[in-house]
Amino acid sequence: MLEVRNVTVTYGPVVAVKNVSLRVEKNSIVAILGANGSGKTSLLHAIVGLNKIASGEILFDGERIDRFEAHEVVKRGLVLCPDNRMVFQKMTVLENLLAGAYLRKEDLSRDFDFVFNLFPRLRERLKQKAGTLSGGERQMLAIARALMAKPKLFMLDEPSTGLAPNLVSEIMKAIKQINELGITILLVEQSAYAALRIAHYAYVLQTGRLVMEGPSEQLIKDSSVIQSYLGGR
Amino acid sequence: MLLNRIVLGLSSGSFYSLAAIGIVLIFKVTGLMNFAYGNMAMFMAYVTYTLVSLGLGPWPALAVVIAVSMLFGYVVERFTLRPLRKLSHGSMLIVTFGLLMILEGLATQIWGTQYKSLPELITGRPFILRGNFGIVVFRRQDLLLFAVLAIVSLTIFLLYRFTKIGIAMRAVSENEKAAQLMGINPNRVISYSWMVGTAIGTLVAVLGAPRTYVAPTMMIYYQLQGFTAAVLGGFDSLLGAVCGGLALGVIENLIGGYISNELKTTLSLAIIVVILLIRPQGMFGSEEIRRV
Repeated sequence: MLEVRNVTVTYGPVVAVKNVSLRVEKNSIVAILGANGSGKTSLLHAIVGLNKIASGEILFDGERIDRFEAHEVVKRGLVLCPDNRMVFQKMTVLENLLAGAYLRKEDLSRDFDFVFNLFPRLRERLKQKAGTLSGGERQMLAIARALMAKPKLFMLDEPSTGLAPNLVSEIMKAIKQINELGITILLVEQSAYAALRIAHYAYVLQTGRLVMEGPSEQLIKDSSVIQSYLGGR
Repeated sequence: MLLNRIVLGLSSGSFYSLAAIGIVLIFKVTGLMNFAYGNMAMFMAYVTYTLVSLGLGPWPALAVVIAVSMLFGYVVERFTLRPLRKLSHGSMLIVTFGLLMILEGLATQIWGTQYKSLPELITGRPFILRGNFGIVVFRRQDLLLFAVLAIVSLTIFLLYRFTKIGIAMRAVSENEKAAQLMGINPNRVISYSWMVGTAIGTLVAVLGAPRTYVAPTMMIYYQLQGFTAAVLGGFDSLLGAVCGGLALGVIENLIGGYISNELKTTLSLAIIVVILLIRPQGMFGSEEIRRV
């Protein structure tokens, strides 16, 4: 479904991602693991068109998307849920969700039901400004908002950052539920265990390079190795 | 006396409010203070003058000019500012300064230095209200102005709150990258805000022309007061722009009536400085919302 071929991302003289190739098969959950500054977010932003790539190509359903602007990429069903600081803080929860549904023309009631089912707490906070939500609620809102765009490939940027452990497992459970509905998932994470538990396949990034990849069951066995790449804990 | 002063204040205040709405609308979405705002409107007033002197009635001329001004706003943003948008904010400010001067020179070249006049859009005897409060006089042009301000601000409020394009505008003004991730095209939203902002500025110029005459410098005062009104209102708030403008007009007229006409601008600005010292975010400006 998604194919990243030899992609390099640079910021001026700084190389953030170097020669990375990866594949995401339809209906799977793929994780990209890496420590802070390993280039995970730069790679995601390149896929979705917020960053331009220096070389390589990115294909989605066989079409090259690396020349498109972000809003054109989103139109094709590739939706990124950014980290939770990127919810619209001055807008209410409802308005955030409507912004997420910006490209949709059909009736949204089923989508609202779906996201409220996933995160019942959002229904209670509908009229509240997003800036007044807790970190966990904001993360739920970020995920719900992105789901309103009806993604084919759903990409999440560190959904567990800054959350309490019980909230992390709640979010991971939600991601698994979303996947079971037939939405392909590309998950970028720092906390390897949480991500490997739900992912089918994973890649490990270190300072912009791929250093390891494999099916999750296999990588879990090597988790000590992964931890060393991630900076250990 | 007092009531009439207030009515007069609300009338000049309406100009400031409208000017402020246009400035804030562009600022909110692009983060750019458009220094050419007033002179773009001035240029459109000259176009209105030409249309009227060619025999078009003032109302049809206004309709044509509003459409032209939207195109004008679009072209200015698309071809002079967008190429710089990702490069340098400072350069964009300089471009709007450059436009300010170019338009002033161009207007003098085309239409000369002699002041032109534009007719009032509605004429007739003023309405007079008598009661135990005394006599209050409403000029028809003022009533028209109030109506325009009410319609413009209500339309923009509804657009902002309840439409898709309104949500897109607020999304882009808050976080452009996040907005793009929703599939919103920021360039389009910026174009819209320039079109609407320029059209509102043009309304100020055409409605104000009977007072100021059509001249290259006609909009300088309105732009300054519009800017002041916007600051008073909080600069990122449209409600603030409306209230700030009206308050500024009333303060100015009360000072002009009771203290000294020469000092009205100076003193009203001084009062605003004091207000801002006490409340730096303005009347309706948003403080950073932050959870502690």
